[in-house]
Amino acid sequence: MKMEEVSMSSLDNSKLEGLAQDILSDLVEDACLGLCFEVHRAVKQGYFFLDDTDQESMRDFEIVDQPGLDVFGQVYNQWKNKECVCPNCSRSIAASRFAPHLEKCLGMGRNSSRIANRRIVTGNNTNNKSESDQEDNDDVNDNDWSYGAEKKAKKRKSEKNPNSPRRSKSFKHKSRPAQAFMGP
Amino acid sequence: MSKDSQMRAAINQKLIEMGERERLKELLRAKLVECGWKDQLKAHCKDVIREKGLEHVTVEDLVTDVTPKGRALVPDSVKKELLQRIRAFLAQHATL
Repeated sequence: MKMEEVSMSSLDNSKLEGLAQDILSDLVEDACLGLCFEVHRAVKQGYFFLDDTDQESMRDFEIVDQPGLDVFGQVYNQWKNKECVCPNCSRSIAASRFAPHLEKCLGMGRNSSRIANRRIVTGNNTNNKSESDQEDNDDVNDNDWSYGAEKKAKKRKSEKNPNSPRRSKSFKHKSRPAQAFMGP
Repeated sequence: MSKDSQMRAAINQKLIEMGERERLKELLRAKLVECGWKDQLKAHCKDVIREKGLEHVTVEDLVTDVTPKGRALVPDSVKKELLQRIRAFLAQHATL
């Protein structure tokens, strides 16, 4: 039994070796065919002999390495100082400022909506300021859930009335809990 | 004999299904480019094309002319490396 097994395994090995060779042969043939197709396509599309041009033409297309020019020899900052006319407000704007200007002018883009929102909230607050209690102002300022509070956190200081009784915040914070419990 | 061909078919299928054949193909291609085989063969193609004429070259012309030369030009080191990988795969996945 053992001897049979040994001979069996050597047979298998030669079989396996033959199989491996065949697989390699297939792979090589695939590679050759791939190359043939590639070359044939290049011939039919006309780009096969492209790198065989004469020296003179080669020199025409050499990479350009001069200041102020890109690799193709084109001037690349020539449009920086040109002016464009805005289609919306008909003003003459510098080219590099044109895109941001359009954003504001047309009312589109991320910043424009933020500014618009801010204006709405500011508009509401300035309308209500004369009517609301000090407490309400506190709530608008300290309450994290308020929509406008976060965005206006920075602007708040500049909008503060220097004469408002709320000036000294620390004093207010101490008395506030008492106020809240006691009601309006 | 049919058991033999059955086994071969099974192995080939496994080779493809596990993506190993694709990997081997890519490996072979990369090696052949690296060792200059592709450029050599391309130069030979140029001769064939010039001979047959640019307009009249067919795929068959190229294949019949290029394939035998291509086979012969594969360096031994590349063959060895590929065979090693194939044998490893067979050792792992060939059930007899």
